[in-house]
Amino acid sequence: MAGSGKAHLRNSEEIILRVEDLTMEFPAGGKKFVRAVSGISFDIERGETLAIVGESGCGKSTLGKAILQLPKPTSGSVNFQGQELTTLNKDALRDIRPAMQMIFQDPVSSLDPRLSVAKIVDEPLKIWDRGDEMWRSNKVDELLNAVGLDPALVRDRRSYEFSGGQCQRISIARSLALEPLLLICDEPVSALDVSVQAQILNLLQDMKERYGLTLIFISHDLAVVKAVSTRIMVMYLGKVCEISAPDELYSRPRHHYTHALVSSVPIPDPNVAARRTTLEGEPPSPMDPPSGCRFRTRCPGATDLCAQEEPQLHEVSAGHYVACHWPRP
Amino acid sequence: MSNLPPMLSLRDFSVSFDTARGPLYAVRNVDIDVADGESLGIVGESGSGKTVLSRGAMGLLPKRVAHRSGTVVYDDHDLSQAPRKELREYWGTGMAMIFQDPMTALNPVRKIGSQLTEGLRIRLQMSKTDAAARGIELLNRVRIPDPAAVMEKYPFQLSGGMRQRVMIAIALACRPRLLFADEPTTALDVTVQAQVMQLLSELRHEMGMSMVIVTHDLGVVAGHTDRIAVMYAGEVVEIAPTKQLFANMQMPYTEALMKSIPRLDTPSGQRLPVISGRLPDPTQPETGCSFASRCPYVTDKCRAEAPPLVEVSPGHSYRCWFPIGGSR
Amino acid sequence: MKLGNVKSLRKYSIPTLLSMGWLAIIGLIAVLYPLISSSDPKATYENDIAVGPFTNGHLFGTDTNGYDIFQELLHGTRLTLLVAVVAVGVGGAIGSLIGIFSGYVRGKIDAVVNVVFSAILSIPNLVLALGLVAVLATAPDVNSTVSSWRQVFVVVLSLTIVIIPILGRIARGATLSWSNREFVTAAKSMGAKNSTILWKHIVPNVLPAVMAIAFLAVGVVIVAEGSLSLLGVGIPDGNSWGAVLAAGRNDMEYTPHVMYFPIICIALTVISCNQIGDVIRQSLDKREARI
Repeated sequence: MAGSGKAHLRNSEEIILRVEDLTMEFPAGGKKFVRAVSGISFDIERGETLAIVGESGCGKSTLGKAILQLPKPTSGSVNFQGQELTTLNKDALRDIRPAMQMIFQDPVSSLDPRLSVAKIVDEPLKIWDRGDEMWRSNKVDELLNAVGLDPALVRDRRSYEFSGGQCQRISIARSLALEPLLLICDEPVSALDVSVQAQILNLLQDMKERYGLTLIFISHDLAVVKAVSTRIMVMYLGKVCEISAPDELYSRPRHHYTHALVSSVPIPDPNVAARRTTLEGEPPSPMDPPSGCRFRTRCPGATDLCAQEEPQLHEVSAGHYVACHWPRP
Repeated sequence: MSNLPPMLSLRDFSVSFDTARGPLYAVRNVDIDVADGESLGIVGESGSGKTVLSRGAMGLLPKRVAHRSGTVVYDDHDLSQAPRKELREYWGTGMAMIFQDPMTALNPVRKIGSQLTEGLRIRLQMSKTDAAARGIELLNRVRIPDPAAVMEKYPFQLSGGMRQRVMIAIALACRPRLLFADEPTTALDVTVQAQVMQLLSELRHEMGMSMVIVTHDLGVVAGHTDRIAVMYAGEVVEIAPTKQLFANMQMPYTEALMKSIPRLDTPSGQRLPVISGRLPDPTQPETGCSFASRCPYVTDKCRAEAPPLVEVSPGHSYRCWFPIGGSR
Repeated sequence: MKLGNVKSLRKYSIPTLLSMGWLAIIGLIAVLYPLISSSDPKATYENDIAVGPFTNGHLFGTDTNGYDIFQELLHGTRLTLLVAVVAVGVGGAIGSLIGIFSGYVRGKIDAVVNVVFSAILSIPNLVLALGLVAVLATAPDVNSTVSSWRQVFVVVLSLTIVIIPILGRIARGATLSWSNREFVTAAKSMGAKNSTILWKHIVPNVLPAVMAIAFLAVGVVIVAEGSLSLLGVGIPDGNSWGAVLAAGRNDMEYTPHVMYFPIICIALTVISCNQIGDVIRQSLDKREARI
């Protein structure tokens, strides 16, 4: 796969985040490095929901955190509202943080078990010294109400008294406290029951409309992002495979990897479920990625060319980009 | 399903726990049979009692806090009152279990090989070399590439999918006749989830086992089970052969569970149907139908009187005063 | 099922209540000693030399010098607990500070701290304490003696140094694990400063773990102090339980009861501390299990 190239970057007034050639390396013992994210470029328009989809280890979570400079990426550029974040000093970066917030996968680990719910939601307000005590308390109630929790019942309780879905609601309330422009959701529903997933996905949609958010939604499950996204970027081993609007992507996945992801979504129909094709094997180690296209070792359509040359992202139909030498019809 | 006696049979099976707020009724009066070679899915939300049911059936719950009642008959042996020592005879060789989180279920400081062969050495009294050979064969069986190398690795050196395969290999080591799989794929990626479910299905046919798959996701079990039992608030609220259940579900809860699954064929940007409200407090059993407080079709009768389990067609039963009917 | 802050004692087991009781008693004795006892612990009862327990009003008997053991132990409680509490308190505070800081910043500082801690921990407690006492308590001149307050100070200092890496490593380990939690990343992404994160999120979560081990460490210190006394380098003149024990050692054949009572006091205190430490650890585990 591959996915270098910037053919898909747009030139619009509405772009609020533009990431170019972002690379993130981690030391892996000795002089070796793991390249978790390898030269990724993408952009987001105001009000969009970009879904980033891929298997564990494809670098999607690292990418999400690298946008927030947690930690700073190894190289590449992250431009948020015209400001280059990678070169900002500590204080300037801190000033910009309220505009970008994040929700994490593990709803329980992302809340301090010692603090009451009111304190958790109040934390960002307190850090930024917004309003007085009274104003903050009202704001906390307003946020808890917005995410569907009754402030009177939950304010003084601790996170471990709540279910995963409720913890995720508290997390969302906290992330909205500073009225961010961009909300990065890192697998916000994968730790939850199916029946609760839908509630949280709906809530995120509501919050997006109510607070005018732009969302980055990171997930391993294409079915989950379908309902919420306006654009989907598929990643494999630190590179981009395919970018497209969701309906187009599902009805006509052009990359072989996207096709495999689509067909591995469980279908609640016993007649269809038995006929699914599954992807064989697991991704190779990012320490030692395959040459050329990184997906070629598991790709049903791989040829010699795929081993020699890395495919570049190119447009296959309006707004649909794929990085594959032999895209599916 | 057939006239053969079932491999596992639960009758009027209940489990309650002692808590500070009084007894918590986790499983209430469940009757379930698992036939020889059958694959049964148990589906429900967190807190529905599905995990307690499967652990209780195996006798894995701590006796100090968990109280079981009713009967558990495995292969003509009544295990309801059996002491732990006797139950241990059945664990591994008769019944085995795989868990949701393969990272915590494996001992982090021991090599895969030694964890895998432990059961063989103790239960089947194999020699070290025989057990090692069998271990490699088992890893092969669960489609792990280069099994000899994996025997020498530690759990953290394997991916989540590989660890779950190792767990399956460990569970299969003593050739159990009945395998409980408790949320076997919940911690895994969608792609790996599909592989693991596929593997479990294949192994069941190869080894002629019975299997009980416990999950919160109806989609996961759709293609891999013969029958499905839907649990809610500790009760089985609907049980039917898989195809029958999907084609002709009766219980509003089953329908709600089904609708809440995110699907690829729903148009994007649309609100997902949800089940509003939440599970009733398990320490305060309701007088009426346990689903009444969340049911879109609720009536006064539902709140006043608990519906009995009624059979609509052979093998298909449900608990509802006003079933949805075969309208779909 | 909620983990309430039940104030009532009823939720504790009998061993725990007994442990609390014992610690409360010796704590009160230590604090209120001047009010409790007016008699001189070093008074010699010339008529009752080396009598057994419960004789002539001597509850625990007397030793070969005619000292009343009960009075000596009452008097020794103060210094014994002082040594233990100061060594664990100061050592724990310094250890936690180092441990939390190095666990939070990681990198080279942490690597160095870890090596130093491990190196110190590789020396057995008693050997280390003995070595430190030997170095620190040496009189500048062979003919002058070391003052007894200086000796006490040296014992406390040595035991403090023994405690630092024990609790420091616990604090470091807990910090490593807590600072990996996502709520710490969340706080960073909100723009919280490192000092805020350390103070509001890390310290309150790490301290209970350190507390649990600190109680065990009190036991370690009391035993170590007693052992130092037995070796002749501890608190001088029978001013602590260990010192009473050491003094009785010489006449073990004649007055074994002189050794029994300090041993019982030390054992009860160590067992009580372990019990309380266990209770704290268990309540932590219970909370952790929900996370």
